[in-house]
Amino acid sequence: MTWLAHEWRLLWRSRLAMAGLLLLLILSTLAVGSGLSEVSRQQQTIARLADLQRQELATQQPKLTHEGDAGTVAYYTFLGTWDEPSDAAFLALGLRDAAPYVLRVRALALQAQLHDGEVFNPELALAGRFDFAFVLVYLAPLILIALLYDLVSGERHAGRLATLLALPGAARGLWVRRAALRAALVFACLCLPMLGGALASGMSAATCAVVLVTVFTYVAFWSGLALIVATRGYSSIANATALMGCWAVLTLVLPTVGNAVLAQSVPVCQGVELMLAQRQAVHGAWDLPREDTMQQFFRTHPQWQHTAPLPAGFHWKWYYAFQQQGDESVAPQVAAYREGLLARQRWSKRLGWLLPGVGVQAILHRTAATDLLAQLSYQDAIAAFHAQLRTHYYPYLFNEIHFGADDFAQLPRFQPARADGVVPSVSLLALTLVAGLAAMLGMCAGRQTER
Amino acid sequence: MSAAFRIAREEWRLLWRDRVAVMGLVLLLMLTAMSAFTAWEQRQGADAERSRYQDQADHEFAAQPDRHPHRMVHYGQFAFRPVNPLASFDAGIDPYTGHTLYLEGHRQNSPNFGDVRQSSLMLRFGQLTPAFVLQVLAPLLLIFLGHASVARERESGTLRLLVTQGLQPGQLVAGKLLVLAGVAALALAPVVLTLLWIGTATSAPLSLALLLIGGYGIWLFLWAVTVVGISTLAARGRDALIVLLALWAVSVVLVPRLGADLVAWSQPLPTRFETDISVARDLAAMGDSHNPDDPYFNKFRKKVLTQYGVSRVEDLPVNYKGLLGMEGERLTSALFNRYADASFSAQEQQLRYVDAFSLVSPVIALRRVSMIASGTDLHSYRGFLEQAEQHRYQLIQELNRLQAEKLTYAGDRSSDNRIGREHWQDIADFRYAAEAPADTLRRALPMACVLLAWLASLVGLLVLVSRRLGRSTR
Repeated sequence: MTWLAHEWRLLWRSRLAMAGLLLLLILSTLAVGSGLSEVSRQQQTIARLADLQRQELATQQPKLTHEGDAGTVAYYTFLGTWDEPSDAAFLALGLRDAAPYVLRVRALALQAQLHDGEVFNPELALAGRFDFAFVLVYLAPLILIALLYDLVSGERHAGRLATLLALPGAARGLWVRRAALRAALVFACLCLPMLGGALASGMSAATCAVVLVTVFTYVAFWSGLALIVATRGYSSIANATALMGCWAVLTLVLPTVGNAVLAQSVPVCQGVELMLAQRQAVHGAWDLPREDTMQQFFRTHPQWQHTAPLPAGFHWKWYYAFQQQGDESVAPQVAAYREGLLARQRWSKRLGWLLPGVGVQAILHRTAATDLLAQLSYQDAIAAFHAQLRTHYYPYLFNEIHFGADDFAQLPRFQPARADGVVPSVSLLALTLVAGLAAMLGMCAGRQTER
Repeated sequence: MSAAFRIAREEWRLLWRDRVAVMGLVLLLMLTAMSAFTAWEQRQGADAERSRYQDQADHEFAAQPDRHPHRMVHYGQFAFRPVNPLASFDAGIDPYTGHTLYLEGHRQNSPNFGDVRQSSLMLRFGQLTPAFVLQVLAPLLLIFLGHASVARERESGTLRLLVTQGLQPGQLVAGKLLVLAGVAALALAPVVLTLLWIGTATSAPLSLALLLIGGYGIWLFLWAVTVVGISTLAARGRDALIVLLALWAVSVVLVPRLGADLVAWSQPLPTRFETDISVARDLAAMGDSHNPDDPYFNKFRKKVLTQYGVSRVEDLPVNYKGLLGMEGERLTSALFNRYADASFSAQEQQLRYVDAFSLVSPVIALRRVSMIASGTDLHSYRGFLEQAEQHRYQLIQELNRLQAEKLTYAGDRSSDNRIGREHWQDIADFRYAAEAPADTLRRALPMACVLLAWLASLVGLLVLVSRRLGRSTR
């Protein structure tokens, strides 16, 4: 192991390399810190809003239950839902800045409420978050390139190359060893702050392992690539140009082109169609014969079929029946819209199999449950809660039961679904394959220069 | 021919012989052309789709049957945000904001279906627009082509030779700068042509297209100056390359994110959830129009009765329920607007903090100028929302007025009381009016000045550095 001490001494003396590593350590610590603080801010917001919601319901309750009419209560009572950040959310904040993680719903048609946006500053979102995923995907390769691009050419430039290669035995795998040491230090600079954050947030060991493997494979990929280029025998400048070109193409150009192609080939305009159709269905109901609406409603809800017939004039049960039908009538559009979103998700995942940067983003965001799928599952949780809310009110409406203060206290409460424990195994496997290939080619290229 | 031109001609010949350099430039030009083409296609598609939906929504509104006007208040209308022609140059925040706004009575909705929530995470890598290519990739090309321009002469010893032959160091630097500026101009050329075409052939004002050309011209020239300056300072071409790449990574990749995140963290915005609850509380405090003993609405009724000189609402020549609806809408809208203004002011305040980072990284100034000129910044989005809100208010009040004038108080008992469908056809459709170019230019001025200041100080530094070059060779 004397070579290790020796190599470390060499590296320690290179001010530029140590500065690069220190910079990476600082940046990844900053990123983890800012991710943790953002997550705790979101948790505080959720807690604060839960309090606010309780107070709001307490003030509303006497006024709403005064007449004992479930329809009025259902119309005016908004109930809170929330999407708790996962333990790994601090690593990759993903869509949590642009999509709501708290949403109030009431028993009216769901589709008009589900797509409400959150208040966020789009110009800030445009810049992108400074989180661990960003440091790993964009900055870590730059540091690796800076550490490795002149691995061979630097020695040639200093006039030591011939001597190094002539050393018996000692030179075997010299470049691989040097590159491995540098890569290991980069890995440490990334993972130490990450592990600190994991401890602070109580991340599970399994999630931790997924993140460690992801970081390891991504670092291995870039080290392998750098080794391949650096041992080709070109000048330092040619190496730097080639590696920076790879970096720009892999993390900037191709993903951007991919996004443009994806947006073009998988259009999701059904969102708007869904909204237009839903409005027609819900508001058109006022002009339809009320009995027809009820008959149609009973087809899906036969349990209310034999309740009292509609009186003359307005009745809440008819109102909620056509609200629900509004949702049911746009079910095909909802399915098409979701299918469009899922297709985009699938294609970007596939792109991640080829582009390690995209793959790492996909894996981290999936593990952190901050991606599109997590957003959809939050919407599912809201829909399930909304269904629960509807079925809670229906007995009061159809059997004309008095809705009192006790019944108000019995209103369903939202139960968030835990979104942890997802291991994106296919993406991880693809990343490992690509990285393994790059690392292996790098090692072979590294050994060959000796001969 | 001056010495600087001779130097430039030699440098140009060298670059032209370098296959990597030519390939880099060709790749960049291809990428610019491709991005311009796809971005234009996408813009056309999105705009056509939105105006189709707008037509559909307008048509559906006009085709509603005989109804109680208040049913139409709830039926509502849609407003779609049209895409600025220059958005194909810089899409800015467009994919991050919703473009479909549902306008209804008693409520201000949020615009829905922004691309950011619909595009997995791919959008976060950036959008393929000419702005992206010029902001991010073109400086990289200049770095690779120019980092050795002066350092090479020093490294190979030709610098001393040239100076002893009587060449002013300033002329050498000027010659190298000339070539790099030429490369920048070449990289900019397809964009200039596209922008001029958009400025003349579409509804986009030419002045804004020229502003974009100017902004990006300064941006690339700024990089040419920096590259030549660092190359003059550095002992070896390699060192110049490393320093320049670090500068690029920090200023183009790191600072914009770090800055935005710092501001988002230190100046958080209230959530919609909270705002909705605050609005509901303020509304409850204001009064309840359904409550016959409500003090505010009692006062309102007395005012109306005195105004018409009658003693009972039944004796009014108009339907009191319609008047009540108008008063309620006036109050709620004022309240909503107050909250919306507060939210936008907070967001604009955030951007002023981000602007401060333009003193660290000029790309922030460039982005701001670019988005303002392309009509894809926060302010133009706010303009759309405010116009749509104004339209919503007029629409709802028009419907309330119909209720007041076309239905009698005694006859307005339930939603079964209807008025003719022809009334829906007279209500004007929503048409978005873009900001006047002079105002846009005025808004772009501060950040354009920051860009110019960067240029001036970097040119000043280059002059200093080239003087130093003269001393060091003596």
